[in-house]
Amino acid sequence: MNVYLLQVVNGIGIGMLYFLLAVGLSIIFGLLRFVNFSHGAFYLLGAYFCFQAVQWGLSFWLALLIVPLVVGACAWIIEKLVLRHVYAQPHEFHILITVGLALVVQEAVILVWGPLGDNVATPAALAGVVMWGDFIYPKYRLFVIGFTSVFAVVLWWILEGTRLGSAVRAGSESTEMVSLLGINVFRVFSLVFALGAATAALAGVLAAPIRGVEPFMGIEALGIAFVIVVVGGIVQSVMSTLWPEGARLMIYVAMAAVLLLRPHGLLGRG
Amino acid sequence: MTRLGSHVQLLLAVATVLILPLVMHSGSLASEVLIYALAVLGCNLLLGYTGLLSFGQGIFFGLGSYALGIALTRFDLPVLATLVLAVVVGAVAAMFVGWFAIRQRGTYFVMLTLAFSQMFYFLAYSLSDITGGDNGLLDIPRPALGLTGRPLLELSSPWQFYGFVAVCFVLVFWALLRLTNSVFGRTLLAIRDNEARAAAVGYDVKLFKLAAFAISGGVTALAGAFLALMTGIAPLSSIEYHTSEMILVMTVIGGTGNLFASVLGAAFYVLFADWLSTLWPRWLMLLGFLLIAVSLFMHRGIWGLGETIWLRLRGRPPIDPDDGSVATLGPVAPAAATGTTANTATATTRSEKRP
Repeated sequence: MNVYLLQVVNGIGIGMLYFLLAVGLSIIFGLLRFVNFSHGAFYLLGAYFCFQAVQWGLSFWLALLIVPLVVGACAWIIEKLVLRHVYAQPHEFHILITVGLALVVQEAVILVWGPLGDNVATPAALAGVVMWGDFIYPKYRLFVIGFTSVFAVVLWWILEGTRLGSAVRAGSESTEMVSLLGINVFRVFSLVFALGAATAALAGVLAAPIRGVEPFMGIEALGIAFVIVVVGGIVQSVMSTLWPEGARLMIYVAMAAVLLLRPHGLLGRG
Repeated sequence: MTRLGSHVQLLLAVATVLILPLVMHSGSLASEVLIYALAVLGCNLLLGYTGLLSFGQGIFFGLGSYALGIALTRFDLPVLATLVLAVVVGAVAAMFVGWFAIRQRGTYFVMLTLAFSQMFYFLAYSLSDITGGDNGLLDIPRPALGLTGRPLLELSSPWQFYGFVAVCFVLVFWALLRLTNSVFGRTLLAIRDNEARAAAVGYDVKLFKLAAFAISGGVTALAGAFLALMTGIAPLSSIEYHTSEMILVMTVIGGTGNLFASVLGAAFYVLFADWLSTLWPRWLMLLGFLLIAVSLFMHRGIWGLGETIWLRLRGRPPIDPDDGSVATLGPVAPAAATGTTANTATATTRSEKRP
């Protein structure tokens, strides 16, 4: 019983990070109709900026606050300079340009920090484990679960409770209608792209003490985030207890099934 | 130039095949150019001629490699038979993937092909008894070409192998040219430009898309099989999504305007990668910048760039970039039935956004 419980809780810990990644990808995809292959690059940047901040002797907490803002600002500039010029183009150029961006970021990371991975120390306050009876769980992962849950509520409030959120949600339905209402859709696009990238960077910062940093973590994370956008993380944690070898295969089977049956996502309307 | 006749394209392809050995030192690299050109032709048939952006071309490429590898290492089949087998495997897999994927459009179609590409990757990874898993299939022999067991033509040296690939490449190129200029090819263009109208006229759009998928899968698998035959291995990376990405990148860099553009795209990518990777280990960064530049400024790829320069030199106005993708619909062949002529003519008007 405990094995399954641990499996589930572990699944939730990592799943929360994937959720952060996926939610950013999902709002970008929903509003901009843009398959963003550069999403993993912002996750990568988040993790490496955190690594650098800790190297400089700054506290992890400061990094957690500042890094997403910095990466979000970078994304905002990139969107203004580069991406907005291809929105009107066919999908292949969306893919090409974001793949290009991802390559540039990944190679820049290798140039600056080298091709090998590195570790980021868990902040001192969260080192160690908690124990309930015979159930042991790392404190840091517990923090990740809690922090991400709070962040999810904030994000939900941004999307559901603010004017920007209304514009985003309406924009996913009909971009033209929103711009007819006098809202500058391009400004919303930039903000959403920056918000998505900042969320990915936040996931990167949170992942750094668990996973360490390495230049190819962005690509790996991107693949998983794509799946979650359409499937949700549940399948993986369930499958990994039932058929561990096939778990990763099955999530893609599930992804295909969902795309076929419910192309607007599991919770989407229509 | 956009109305480039198919005989000119065939001539250009043959010229490329003949020039490569004159300007290049390595037969393997020259073969690699033609091999990827085949894969890109397959992708172009879907993207440029049918309007389907498939992110799953790596599936067929990888399956081609595996099919050839398994047939040669386990069953000791003759080379030509293994190549045919690879084509069949690729076409069948493409029909399988296509049957599902064509049920969605736009970004959902892209995501669906991406899902299949990952699925096949992990399938190949999990079935390590058959595919060798992480290591891939090793020690694939390269026997001589022969009929009924008698070896006729050695393939052991790089340039001998190049000759063999070159002949196959020209044959496939010619066949695809015939195909794209046939009524079938024109119907694909009509579907690309206005699917609703093509369906309304009475074409079974899904069937045509499926056929395009099967042909594309077969050609791509042939490329994968050639690469495995050349390198002697069928690595797991050949079925990875990077392969899909690379084939797509080559296709778009070359331009989807016509079939020869694909050859340009593949040649440019392979040679550029080969040259830069010796100069600077971080050459992928330059590739990244190149991709961004192509997306921003060169929507019609290298072919479109060359065409614009050519027209400028001859003092003619450049083609409107938004109109030029595959506006190769010149005069429709008079042999076509009158009904078809009417349909294909509609395809010259670029698609209306959505009904």
